[in-house]
Amino acid sequence: MDQKEKRLIRKVKKGDQQAFAELVDRYKNSVFAISLRMVGNTQEAEDLSQETFIRAFNHIDQYDHDRKFSTWLFRIATNISIDFLRRRKANVSLDAVVPGTEGLALSTIIPDGGELPDEMMMRKETEEMVQLEIRKLPEKYRSAVILKYIEDLSLKEISEVMDIPVGTVKTRIHRGREMLRKSITAGGGMRE
Amino acid sequence: MNCTSKKYLALMNKVLDHEATKQEEQVLDQHLALCEECRMHFNQLKYSTNLLNQLAHPQLPVGFTKSVLEQLPLEKRHAIREWGSRHPMLTAVAICAVPTLVMIGARHQNRSKNDYVLINASSDQS
Ligand SMILES: [Zn+2]
Repeated sequence: MDQKEKRLIRKVKKGDQQAFAELVDRYKNSVFAISLRMVGNTQEAEDLSQETFIRAFNHIDQYDHDRKFSTWLFRIATNISIDFLRRRKANVSLDAVVPGTEGLALSTIIPDGGELPDEMMMRKETEEMVQLEIRKLPEKYRSAVILKYIEDLSLKEISEVMDIPVGTVKTRIHRGREMLRKSITAGGGMRE
Repeated sequence: MNCTSKKYLALMNKVLDHEATKQEEQVLDQHLALCEECRMHFNQLKYSTNLLNQLAHPQLPVGFTKSVLEQLPLEKRHAIREWGSRHPMLTAVAICAVPTLVMIGARHQNRSKNDYVLINASSDQS
C-alpha cells in the first residue's frame, strides 16, 4: 500500500471526510464490480456499494494497517452482497427472481470502440449469459470466482479477503470454474 | 470425464492457476495432443474463463462519492467526539459555555431586529 493511502486512512480515522472521499474515488469501481457480479443488478449493486463504504467509514477503527486496505474493503463488499442475497432469498421465492442482468443498460457494458450493432448485440447477449451463469453458482464459489476473474486478485489475496486458507480458495475456484464450463458450453455453442 | 485418470484435470487446474512448472505444462500438452476428451475439456475451461475476463466493468454514476459522503455521520459531531475523548475537562467547559454563547447570540439578534424596525419606522416618516 502506498504512503499516500496510509496518510489518507490516518486522516479518515480522525473523522476527515474529504480524505475518505479520495478513498471512495480510488475503489468505488472495484467495489461496484464485485457487488454487480454478486447480485446481477446495477441499481442494487450501487446501493450495496454505498453501504460498503458507509460501513467502512463507520468501522475504520477496526482496520489494521498491516493489511492491505483493498483487502479489508473487498471483504466488507462481499459480505454485504452475501447478506443481501440471503435476505432476498428469505423474502422472495426463487421463481420470482428475474434472471439475468435486468438492470444492465447496453451503454454500460459496451466499451467505446465503434463496434457494429450486430457485434454489440452479440456481446450483450454473451454478457447476459455469463452473468446468469455466475449467479447460479453457490455464493462461496461465486465470490471466489469474481475476486479472481473480475478483480484479478491473486489466490493469496483472495484467501485474505475471504479469510480462508489458500487451499480452500483453490478448491472453490476449481469447482466454480468447472460449473461455469459445464453451463456455459452446455448448448454446444462455443463462439470463437 | 471418462479419461482414465483425474491426473490431467488436476494439471489443467494447475496450469490455469499459473502454478504449473514447465515440465507439468509439457506433460499436459503431450496428453492433450493424444486425448480429444481432455483437449475439449481444457478448451472449454479456457473459453469460460476468457468470457469472465472479458466481462465489462461498468462505471458508477458521477454523483456516487457525493451521495456516500452525504450519508456519513456529521463530521463535526465525529470530530468533537474524538477531541472530547482526549480532553474531557475542556469538553465539559465547552458545553457549559454553549448556553452563554446562545444567549449572547439571541440578544444580538434581538438588537438587529430592533434596528430593522427602527429603519423601517424612519423610512415611513420620510
Ligand atoms: Zn485425457
